[in-house]
Amino acid sequence: MTVLNSPIHSPATESLYDTEILIIGSGAGGATTAALLAEAGFDVLVVEEGAWVEQGTVVPFSLDQMNQQYRSAGVTVALGLPSIAYTEGRCAGGGTEVNSGLYRRPPADVLERWRTQYHIRDLDPDEMYAIAHELETALNVTKVPGKVSAPSMALHRGAEALSWENSESPRWMKYPAGGNASSGQRQSMTRTYLPRAHRAGARIITQCRVRKLAIRGTSASEAAVVLANGQPGRIRFRHVFVCGGAIHTPALLQRSGLHEHIGDTLAVHPTVKLAAHFREAINVPDDVPVHQVKEFAPEISFGGSASNPGLVAMALADNWAEFGHAVNDWQRISVYYAAITSQGKGRVKAIPGMRDPLVTYHLTGRDKQLLRSGLSRLTLLMLAAGADEVYPSYRGAPLVRTPGDIANLQHSFATTKATVMTVHLCSTVPIGEHPRCAANSFGQIRGMKNVWVNDASMLPDAPGVNPQGSVQAFAVRNARRFIETNSPRG
Amino acid sequence: MRAASSKRTHLVADFSLPSATVVTGAAGWLGRALVQHLSTDSGSYRRDGVLRALVLNEQEAQSVRDVSTNVETVIGSVTDPRSLERLLDGLPADTDVIHTAGVIHPGKVSDFVDVNTTGAANMANAVHRAGLRRMVHVSSNSPFGTNPSEHDTFRAHEPYNPYLGYGKSKMHGELAVLAQVEQGLDAVIVRPPWFYGPLQPPRQTTFFRMVRGGKFPKFGAGTQRRSMVFLDNLVQGIVRAELTPNTSGRGYWIADARPYTVNEIIETVGRALKDEGYEVKPGAMKLPVIAGRIAERADRLIQGTGRYQQQLHVMGEMAHSIACDIDAAREELGYDPQFELYDGMRRSIQWCRAEGLEL
Repeated sequence: MTVLNSPIHSPATESLYDTEILIIGSGAGGATTAALLAEAGFDVLVVEEGAWVEQGTVVPFSLDQMNQQYRSAGVTVALGLPSIAYTEGRCAGGGTEVNSGLYRRPPADVLERWRTQYHIRDLDPDEMYAIAHELETALNVTKVPGKVSAPSMALHRGAEALSWENSESPRWMKYPAGGNASSGQRQSMTRTYLPRAHRAGARIITQCRVRKLAIRGTSASEAAVVLANGQPGRIRFRHVFVCGGAIHTPALLQRSGLHEHIGDTLAVHPTVKLAAHFREAINVPDDVPVHQVKEFAPEISFGGSASNPGLVAMALADNWAEFGHAVNDWQRISVYYAAITSQGKGRVKAIPGMRDPLVTYHLTGRDKQLLRSGLSRLTLLMLAAGADEVYPSYRGAPLVRTPGDIANLQHSFATTKATVMTVHLCSTVPIGEHPRCAANSFGQIRGMKNVWVNDASMLPDAPGVNPQGSVQAFAVRNARRFIETNSPRG
Repeated sequence: MRAASSKRTHLVADFSLPSATVVTGAAGWLGRALVQHLSTDSGSYRRDGVLRALVLNEQEAQSVRDVSTNVETVIGSVTDPRSLERLLDGLPADTDVIHTAGVIHPGKVSDFVDVNTTGAANMANAVHRAGLRRMVHVSSNSPFGTNPSEHDTFRAHEPYNPYLGYGKSKMHGELAVLAQVEQGLDAVIVRPPWFYGPLQPPRQTTFFRMVRGGKFPKFGAGTQRRSMVFLDNLVQGIVRAELTPNTSGRGYWIADARPYTVNEIIETVGRALKDEGYEVKPGAMKLPVIAGRIAERADRLIQGTGRYQQQLHVMGEMAHSIACDIDAAREELGYDPQFELYDGMRRSIQWCRAEGLEL
């Protein structure tokens, strides 16, 4: 089956594909599933809606990247009061190509919560951490060689001054011998699990959008797709793994007629941000800080955001009349965020005739208080780090120079004035044996014999840490269970 | 019961005891407790040397002398800088000043600023000009508002988020003291939350009566967390803050070892009352959380007109958590609270009975 010389990916052109296993989506969940199943001898076809974009051909965290590798150029919104902006990768490798690259294991208390509250069967922390260890090797999870970047150091310095717990998050990143903080190469799916899947014989086709699955009774038999040239196509399969991310996985399932508990429980980590100005140059335009401040975790976490001049301008935009002038001094500015674990709930709803689903999300009163407190504490952290001016991101925000100024922030902040945004979308097809779960403990959709999910949608709720490590650990676990209980077609 | 031995795990180098100690707000609840602890045989921190107390009038002077005979009283006010010069006149350089004067439930909102802000600024200025060794400024949880969630705990360093007029005035009081620290004053800030213990003013007996009658207001599930501090713990914290060098400009939470939930407070106080022989009606006055929000809004409105209504203010705060973490005081000051809620409350009840107060 090995096809070493064939190209690793190709655009979808054929009107009919036939495969044993269809995997829809090539991000953290889909790529991992593809590699494991192909290596176990299954015939695997991966379809990806976006294009394959080689690393190095776009600048990381740039607007160009948003255009090429994000869905809708990064402009997607969950409606509510306030509406929450979110971003999704849409390219081979999915979110792993564009995210911060920070790696966190699923926390032990989170695994315990998922086991007990969602009744996930056979969820063994030892097994999960053994898998995590494998992933860390496969992705080369490592810390920065030598000194971390100046914006990352600022987080560390501020947290130390306040005695707040902070640490450098490792990343899945390869550094050349003698390399420094900015010479790493991200070990995203296009560098790791997708080539592995390809080496084991999997086919990977790009620019192929799946419209719906044809379902009869308890089985799905084929997928209706739109090919690279816009023409319709079909893919026949024995099993399908839907790994399109927390928005598009439930939307596809809904379009295919599956609704029970699907798309009803979107979970996110809402964030608010600020721009911090320092006396010295600090900006690193093409990378994000590796330090995170976890003193108030899991409720509130702090970290650094991408800070190229365009994104600095966006951070200042909510109070542009007062803050806009600062953008000229962007070299001395870096953007930081406060993220919370939300008790609000969102929904994903496929609308007939619409290409994208309707996404809604509602913050609770407690969430809003945490966002206010998070932004205020983040401001204090920046002052402690030596920032001389802090620009919180919301309409009418005060300029903060001293601890006393933060009182004005606390009193004038409202989430409806802020650009609340989120990454880390998950939990729209939660797994477990609890009646409110949409799929069983291993990702098999309730009542379906051959439809599975194996991406961020399956996490029962938001893990409170960067979720890619959790997504991949569950993807490996579930793929292995599938391999144990199903044999490849001869 | 008092723990047999202190759990201080590391030694904190101390200042020597001062030749003279000044207490402002000496006729207040905390002020009288300090006078008693610092200058009488029944006190835990008895010291030799001068103890000088600032009081507003002769009546207050008498109430301080009722607690101790080893005290000089000076009549004046923190709102009157000239009286502060008199207060500090002739004191040696190794004098410490414990500034407790403050207004918590005033007649009108403007009293907050006059006493809590301008008064603190006057005091810091006077201590600095007199070149004294250290000022301990007693602040509050109010400059920091309430926790954003029931699970949240205030750390040693928090952004200001003042709760209404009182909180704002105490915040500006802290800022005024810190501004003097920038100029060279040696001052430490102590932040006690809700305190309880002997010498309590009448509003606190209302608290016991509400618990006895099963009428203590409980919002929602009563799972809000509250830090409280027994008076003797607070006195220990203040003395530790006074005598620990190299802490100028720092602020410390001084509270009992851990926060309590509202349910736990109601249950524990009820048990303490029962064990002291009082009849206690079980239960509490259950109120929806929204009632607390309404009280808070009404409090805000009324304070906006310059007036102040104590019950509304306390009600508004009760629906929230105010929980703080004392680790910094433990680690940097060697603070080691000796009393928990049950013992502290029994002592308070015993004191009330000895004073002949109806509960």
